[in-house]
Amino acid sequence: MSGTTVKQDLPPPGGYKPINYLRVPAKTYFSGVQMFVLFNVITFGAIYIWSYSAERMRKLRTEDRSARLALQPMLFAEKDRLYLKRMRSLRDEEEELMKGVPGWVVGTYWGEPIYHTRPENEWHDITPTEYLAHSPHYKQQYMVNFYKWL
Amino acid sequence: MITKGKEIPTYEELEVQDVALSSPFLKAGALHMGKQCEAENNEFMLCRMEEKDPRKCINEGKVVTSCAMKFFQVVKRNCAQEFYNFAMCLDRGSQDMSYDFCRKTQTIFDDCMKEKAGIERPGYGYFCEPRIHETKRPQPMPEPPPVYPDALVEPPSDDIPRQPSKYQGRPIFF
Repeated sequence: MSGTTVKQDLPPPGGYKPINYLRVPAKTYFSGVQMFVLFNVITFGAIYIWSYSAERMRKLRTEDRSARLALQPMLFAEKDRLYLKRMRSLRDEEEELMKGVPGWVVGTYWGEPIYHTRPENEWHDITPTEYLAHSPHYKQQYMVNFYKWL
Repeated sequence: MITKGKEIPTYEELEVQDVALSSPFLKAGALHMGKQCEAENNEFMLCRMEEKDPRKCINEGKVVTSCAMKFFQVVKRNCAQEFYNFAMCLDRGSQDMSYDFCRKTQTIFDDCMKEKAGIERPGYGYFCEPRIHETKRPQPMPEPPPVYPDALVEPPSDDIPRQPSKYQGRPIFF
């Protein structure tokens, strides 16, 4: 114990360096006015470009809609005729299928109609299941899943 | 389902030659056709919207289809090649058959239709504008309210003598 020498921790010769307490600001690339101007140029320039192309696309969409509306009556006329043909063929099919069943009335459930209080000749649409009642199952699947192809 | 009492037109009544064209051709001729068949189209659509019954608008629909057939026959006689080029451009130009990429062929087709067939292309957005259609078909009346034979007699309300209130009425808002 007595042979050990103790080295006192002391400042280096000449003393410690002065503490660096001054701020070191980051390097500035733009001044405030420049940044303000740049922000506004980019923002309003983009708004101008966006509104220009949005207006152009709106015009194109209007033109497309115009063509579609012009075609609509012709397509609806075809569709209505096909629909009525389909309804007649469905009724004929049911009549043919159930002709040997006593007590069955076509278009009803053993003589019980869907609507009791409405006149029989009144128009009502049929459901998709009824529309494809005498079709193979894959037709129904195709109709249900058709939107996935779009 | 469809009962026997429901009147559905027979196949013969519904048999009409339809316009057998694919969508690019229909879209290529749509605007001229709409202008040419405007009265028929409006009549049919008005009938369809008012009646809400496809059986009552069969004849109007047949008129629409025959008008469209006549128009496309005129196109075929006069401007078949221009029409074909325009439709092919629509088909192959873009996914949604936009008119935007086919202005050249469209101009050629329009000029041909104007010169040879005398049909002018309607203005921009012509069919998006609302307009009034004159028709001779009577407007369907709404269904009258139902009358029930066993309905309860309404209590007499008007012939009870009512006195004016003795005191001031109660204020409503506070």
